[in-house]
Amino acid sequence: MAEKLLEIHNLKQHFNVGKANEVKAVDGISFDIYKGETLGLVGESGCGKSTTGRSIIRLYDATDGKVLYEGESVHGKKSKKELKKFNRKMQMIFQDPYASLNQRMKVMDIIAEGIDIHGLAKNSTERKKMVYDLLETVGLNKEHANRYPHEFSGGQRQRLGIARALAVDPDFIIADEPISALDVSIQAQVVNLLKELQEEKGLTYLFIAHDLSMVKYISDRIGVMYFGKLVELASADELYENPLHPYTQSLLSAIPLPDPNYERNRIRKAYDPAVHNYTETDDVKMREITPNHFVQCSDKEFAELQERMATKQ
Amino acid sequence: MEKILQVKDLELSFHTFGGEVKAIRGVNFDLYKGETLAIVGESGSGKSVTTKSIMRLLPEATSEFKSGEILFGGRDLTKLSDKAMQKIRGKDISMIFQDPMTSLNPTMPVGRQITEPILKHQKVSKDEAKKVAIDLLRLVGMPKPELRMKQYPHQFSGGQRQRIVIAIALACNPQILIADEPTTALDVTIQAQILELMKDLQKKIDTSIIFITHDLGVVANVADRVAVMYGGKIVEIGTVDEIFYNPQHPYTWGLLSSMPSMDAEDAKLYAIPGTPPDLLDPPKGDAFALRSEYAMKIDMEQPPPFFKVSDTHMAATWLLHPDAPEVEPPVMVIERMKKFPGSRYYEGGAN
Repeated sequence: MAEKLLEIHNLKQHFNVGKANEVKAVDGISFDIYKGETLGLVGESGCGKSTTGRSIIRLYDATDGKVLYEGESVHGKKSKKELKKFNRKMQMIFQDPYASLNQRMKVMDIIAEGIDIHGLAKNSTERKKMVYDLLETVGLNKEHANRYPHEFSGGQRQRLGIARALAVDPDFIIADEPISALDVSIQAQVVNLLKELQEEKGLTYLFIAHDLSMVKYISDRIGVMYFGKLVELASADELYENPLHPYTQSLLSAIPLPDPNYERNRIRKAYDPAVHNYTETDDVKMREITPNHFVQCSDKEFAELQERMATKQ
Repeated sequence: MEKILQVKDLELSFHTFGGEVKAIRGVNFDLYKGETLAIVGESGSGKSVTTKSIMRLLPEATSEFKSGEILFGGRDLTKLSDKAMQKIRGKDISMIFQDPMTSLNPTMPVGRQITEPILKHQKVSKDEAKKVAIDLLRLVGMPKPELRMKQYPHQFSGGQRQRIVIAIALACNPQILIADEPTTALDVTIQAQILELMKDLQKKIDTSIIFITHDLGVVANVADRVAVMYGGKIVEIGTVDEIFYNPQHPYTWGLLSSMPSMDAEDAKLYAIPGTPPDLLDPPKGDAFALRSEYAMKIDMEQPPPFFKVSDTHMAATWLLHPDAPEVEPPVMVIERMKKFPGSRYYEGGAN
């Protein structure tokens, strides 16, 4: 398999630690992200998928666990110089294209902010040229550089967000629900753009979303989160064909598809965490059922799932 | 079937500093008793404005009915006085909004918010209204309704809040329920619960529902009939099967092709190029022509009339004119048409 770009070991992100209202937003998750792939992360709101993304990029200080980027830890003490180096490699695209752009800055300065901080342009002509190139890369043109964010539509703003992320030439981009706020026809435009850029520049994506059909379309592998834990991780096709964890099955059965005949016959499964009947002695962790298909389960469930998959083949 | 609401040639404009925005440019549809009509289209296509004009919720200072009528129970809603309209709003026609947090009053216990329309529209005592409210909460699947009556909106989750909004909307057994993107702010699993609830309730109280959404999956799930809106007009209307399996308008084709299907290969998604038309200065001909690869010369000059596809199916596109050349729809649409008896790509007996 391809080279690992990012390794996440037992990452925990707890808020209000030690207080009565402690929240275990991310509670011990581990996974790897390979170079050049798109890893989708899905789950309900509040399951910790956005927090995971934000902890990886160091917007939060992790409570426990490790995030290794090309073998180096992302968290922990760092000099300004080291921090800058990391910030250049990892970038983020946010959900709300209305809130994530400074309304009082011109597009030119929004996109060039990263260029300025990292001193990537030698002079102002070069800076301008870089911004113009970026605008063209994301399907806008250079006349747009002197405008303000409010002059753009939702889809165009998301393109600006992408241009800003690309400005420092990163290897890894975390896209946190980048299309949820957009219309269907515009969603397709943005998703196509993200895919093209990935092919051109060899980018690696962590794509966080709750729209499962779009996630399946864009991702190579998908992780499903539930209450701060990763419950299933598999290749996109495998996850949709053989969902093993009952929560994944419930999530998949809840998606309405644009097909009336399918909708008339769709039966929704509800997920009740009590079905597992875990006792305190059960060692519940991620286990590999078939190659590269991981499910959170106990020893007993592990045996059952393996048998189920064996009889299927 | 009995027609409960008729919208005829409705035209509505907003007056802004930039000029007159022609938000609705001649909309016609009927709503039958007990059916669910879904209205789909992108932001700015006029779907919310259409329903808000039925409810007369648009600001009177800036909006203006240019022509047309909305017939409900023999009366034209566009011409009613505010007072007469208040008697209909919340009683005969009620509405569910997208964001349950902003449509509930955060400083009022939910019980009082549910009894409010009951006390307003029906001659009942406070105690009786309270009983009705508790029954309503039970009806929408809220556990411990007596206790919940005294709680405030922030004590409920998003899905529960939307259940409360539905309870309020149903308080007076409305004949028409307008749901404006009622599940867009919710998770898929919660969305599925709310949709099931709405369908259940519709069976119980026989309400007609106008359902606005841009999620075609939701449409396929809830709708009996579908109206597709673009640029302030309905461009295609038909039964849910006709719209999904035998679409005729290039915009409907574009919409259906831009969604990845669950078994889609890694082909590129079809993205409708360009942006929606500027309704300050709407195009002379077919509003979709500039974004359509199927546009003909006449599309630029003259808006297409409705052509009848079947008794229940109409589409406004010149492609259906007898003189128009035969064109091939996108691949994903042809795949859909293969499943529909009566379409020219039908593969007979395939089922």
